[in-house]
Amino acid sequence: MLAYFQDFQLTWSYFFDQLVAGLTLGSLYGLIAIGYSMVYGILKLLNFAHGEVFMIGSYIGYFVLTWLGGAADPKIPVAATIALMFLAAMLGAGALGMIIERFAYRPLREKRASRIAPLISALGVSFFLQQLAVILFGSAPKQYNAFAFDNGSLFTNVTIGPFTIQYMQLFVIVTTVCLMAALAVFIARTQVGRAMRATSFDLEAASMMGINVDRVIVVTFFIGSVLAGAAGVMNGLIFQNVDPYVGFQVGLVAFTAAVVGGIGSIPGAMIGGLAIGIGRAFSIGYVSSSYQDVIVFAILIAFLLLRPSGLFGTPAPQKV
Amino acid sequence: MSEPPQPERSGPAIGADEWVARSGERAERPRGLVGRVQELYERIPKSAVFAFVVVCAALVPLLTSQTDNDIYFLRVGTVALVFALLALGLNVAVGFAGLLDLGYIAYYGIGAYGYAFLSSDKFGIHWQAWLVLPLVVAVSALLGLLLALPSRRLVGDYLAIVTLFFGQIFYIVATQGYRISFLGLNKDLGLDRANWDLTGGPNGIANVDRLGVFGLKASSERAYFYITLIAVVVVFAALTLANRSRTGRAWRALNDDTLAAQAMSMPVNWLKLLAVGLGAAVAALAGTINAALLQGAFPDDYNTQVLIIIYAMVILGGAGSLAGAVLGAFVVSVLMLEGLRPQTPIGDFTGNGRWVFYGAIIVVLVAAIRPWRRLAAILGGIVAFGVVVHAIVAATTDRGTDGLLNTGPDTYTDGGPLGWLIRHWLALPAGTYEAGSRNWFNFALVSLIGLVLCLTLVKGWKRDALIVPTVWLAGFVWETRLAEETSGPTRLLLLGALLVGLMIARPQGLLGRPRVEIV
Amino acid sequence: MVQPLLELDQVSKAFGGLVCIDRLDLEVREGEIVSVIGPNGAGKTTLFNLVTGIYRPDDGDIRLDGESIVGLSPHKITNRGIARTFQTLRLFLNMSVKDNVMAATYGGTHASLVESILRLPRARREERESNAVAEEKLSFFGQRLMGYRWNQPAYSLSYANRRRLEIARATATEPRILLLDEPAAGMNPVETHEITELIGQLRKEGGYTILVIEHDMHVVEGISDRVVALDHGEKIAEGTFEQVATNPRVVEAYLGTTGAERK
Repeated sequence: MLAYFQDFQLTWSYFFDQLVAGLTLGSLYGLIAIGYSMVYGILKLLNFAHGEVFMIGSYIGYFVLTWLGGAADPKIPVAATIALMFLAAMLGAGALGMIIERFAYRPLREKRASRIAPLISALGVSFFLQQLAVILFGSAPKQYNAFAFDNGSLFTNVTIGPFTIQYMQLFVIVTTVCLMAALAVFIARTQVGRAMRATSFDLEAASMMGINVDRVIVVTFFIGSVLAGAAGVMNGLIFQNVDPYVGFQVGLVAFTAAVVGGIGSIPGAMIGGLAIGIGRAFSIGYVSSSYQDVIVFAILIAFLLLRPSGLFGTPAPQKV
Repeated sequence: MSEPPQPERSGPAIGADEWVARSGERAERPRGLVGRVQELYERIPKSAVFAFVVVCAALVPLLTSQTDNDIYFLRVGTVALVFALLALGLNVAVGFAGLLDLGYIAYYGIGAYGYAFLSSDKFGIHWQAWLVLPLVVAVSALLGLLLALPSRRLVGDYLAIVTLFFGQIFYIVATQGYRISFLGLNKDLGLDRANWDLTGGPNGIANVDRLGVFGLKASSERAYFYITLIAVVVVFAALTLANRSRTGRAWRALNDDTLAAQAMSMPVNWLKLLAVGLGAAVAALAGTINAALLQGAFPDDYNTQVLIIIYAMVILGGAGSLAGAVLGAFVVSVLMLEGLRPQTPIGDFTGNGRWVFYGAIIVVLVAAIRPWRRLAAILGGIVAFGVVVHAIVAATTDRGTDGLLNTGPDTYTDGGPLGWLIRHWLALPAGTYEAGSRNWFNFALVSLIGLVLCLTLVKGWKRDALIVPTVWLAGFVWETRLAEETSGPTRLLLLGALLVGLMIARPQGLLGRPRVEIV
Repeated sequence: MVQPLLELDQVSKAFGGLVCIDRLDLEVREGEIVSVIGPNGAGKTTLFNLVTGIYRPDDGDIRLDGESIVGLSPHKITNRGIARTFQTLRLFLNMSVKDNVMAATYGGTHASLVESILRLPRARREERESNAVAEEKLSFFGQRLMGYRWNQPAYSLSYANRRRLEIARATATEPRILLLDEPAAGMNPVETHEITELIGQLRKEGGYTILVIEHDMHVVEGISDRVVALDHGEKIAEGTFEQVATNPRVVEAYLGTTGAERK
């Protein structure tokens, strides 16, 4: 028994390592979860295809990196390379999100289709994109090889007191915070942001108040997809591997985060993401890695049964 | 009951005369030959049609011999029947009750693994199928009920999520269940094994027994065809009767308007559980048969991909229509899963996937483009376009048109006379895709997707004009990119596109009835 | 004193900060026809939703035949004997006319799924009985919902016929009390007159106790034994039609203070 606990590394630094890993992972989940939450808040649609947008963002980052010469020998300075990767991935993912909305979901809205029609369409889109990625890019994972940047300097440790954190992890967390801040300002201060909030309360009423609901929906999809694209590049930078199936897996977990945080609530999505990320990191670090997904899903099911509105969502009374 | 005073009338009166009231029905009937055939068909009692189809199906194995080719065909049929069974089961929750049960695949898997636990070398238990089957089916139904129980109050979307995650958990347990332990503490707790192997992990459980009843074991391909056929017939009949019962009516009512159904004395939550449970039972039956058929339980047969395939079958056939589920299962299984293989294990049919592909395009065009003249113009334009492009490319570059057709894994031939037609209609560059250089053709694929999306945006003659290069490009992309994807992404890609297209263009599928939704 | 069939006792319901029903007392005696009137937003449909179990009251009790039904799920309440129609019409549009009505007989039948599949005697008998009940309830409306209409999908019916079908469906649950939510909404004068007669006949031939929400005062006048007026969730008047219609508080609720003064 004692031997087990010694392996266990019951030290603060180990704990902190897991915590930071969890925060980093959680930031990724949170960014993706926001997209799920926003779309559900307005359209009451579970956009299963959102995970694939994240995956495509990862690939776009990879291709930009390769085009610029690869991590070992980029043609432009490392910072510019990474910035360009982010830009391309975010814009590309945003465009993809808008295309999906326009061609797979909007026709169903216009036809006033049944409740499950958009869900099935979403499943179809998810499947389609996944297999398209397999055809275009092959099912073998591509490597970002971010360790090669500047001879691995991006993964060196920064020490803050007794704790260490990698540059890359710090970068991810800080970038996420910045993106969240930008989003918060956008929603609180701009006209479009106000329109989004109104539409998420009552779509029909918003349209009757002169809000161009179609445009609001497009913007919502765009923003959510942009964040997912950013998460995609971060995923590549941290975990190096990019394969066509990562979208589905990560998508499910991010979706859990959105539900836990209260689907429809943006801060809830991020907090849910962080919670799930930390939970996963701890379960990998302290329990076992095989069943991490089971633990995550068990959390989800428990939440859905006990508190379907999540941590920050508002329970919606049904009007007859 | 007072009615307005009737004036003297000489003709039919609106509202009071059945003939007038049914004029709408008459107007909707298709005209001409199709209409008359439909009328005749409607006079035949459905049970006669059913019996006819079953008899035809039963004759199929008798027409086959023992050659490898024929065994292959028979296996395709049996697999299609297993899928038909699965589609029927899914139709209960999705089609009758309108519940999106995304964990359905787990019950299929539970049936297979349950049978494998009790009838294989795994644990040394070798119970016979007649014993195992009811047990496994009952366990699966119970699990379906239990799983749906806490989720019964959830609105449709949330039910979908919970069931989806349950399916995921099943898959994870199946693939990770070969090293189960108490948090790695087995040795410390004094147990002699570090971990237990429950499910065989990614390799699954092999050497599963064949189906046995009272000592007789089914081992031939034919036997399994008949067993599955009987299962399909029994389940079909049972579900038809269920649909006509008070429970079936209640399911359809809760599908239309759950709140009104509750107000009209129907216990909606219990009905949802019942629908999921019944579907789970049918799926477990299919799983048991599948495990015995493949003589193994392998986790990748029970993952999300297969779930989406089954959904595509049900949606294509028409959710709510049992005949549709079977039809959808056959169309998807035979045409899409088998037919699109670039190579099949039988000698003369290599490269037959392209005939399914081109055939499907032609069928869709013929079905969707109404006046014959317009159809002829478009088809002619497609051919002409190809010929012209071929000529231009041949004139300008050297090897631009000398490419060969893929007729097997890494096999490129000229494809015979029909292949000659294709090679002269398209402009296939030589030595490029055959050598594995893919990038330009990937662009072509993406452009094709873009073109198809644009097709949905324009109307009228612009759309007709755009169809021409789109079809040509589709052929081009097929030959250069999609034909050679032997591992399956092509057929799954098309399946995903099919799902989206169906929802937009024809949500009721092939045999379903168009539904009116309360907005 | 005969116990009222339906009794609301200091029932309150609020949604967030909005009080919809405020300490409401209401009773309906067997065989009565009671109308509930009031301006929009007065809480009339909320009242129906509380009685039928869709909402749970925050305070107070609702009793059917002396027994509390608070907290029961809607289908159980229907089985106890309360049936309703909906203001916005909630038919099973994709089912046939007859199936709509037969579906409502679920609570009165007991055959299990297995029995139905095996076509055991009880299932077959109950199916015949449901069929008969449906035909009987539909025949109440004359020829309008009979014959070929039985197999037509509900979405093909005209608006007035849909309202009739909804009433037929509600009666198929064999209730003791019928809650009709604006049965004459959207009807022309001829149809309105028909509905008025129909409600009377429901009581006479069907023996139902009826609670009606209605805006059309002609209907209210023609059918009611008693009228209850609500405004902002509380009862502001109760009595015969003449008493309530001339009650100054009622006039004020409908027309506003200036309107009341003018009147």
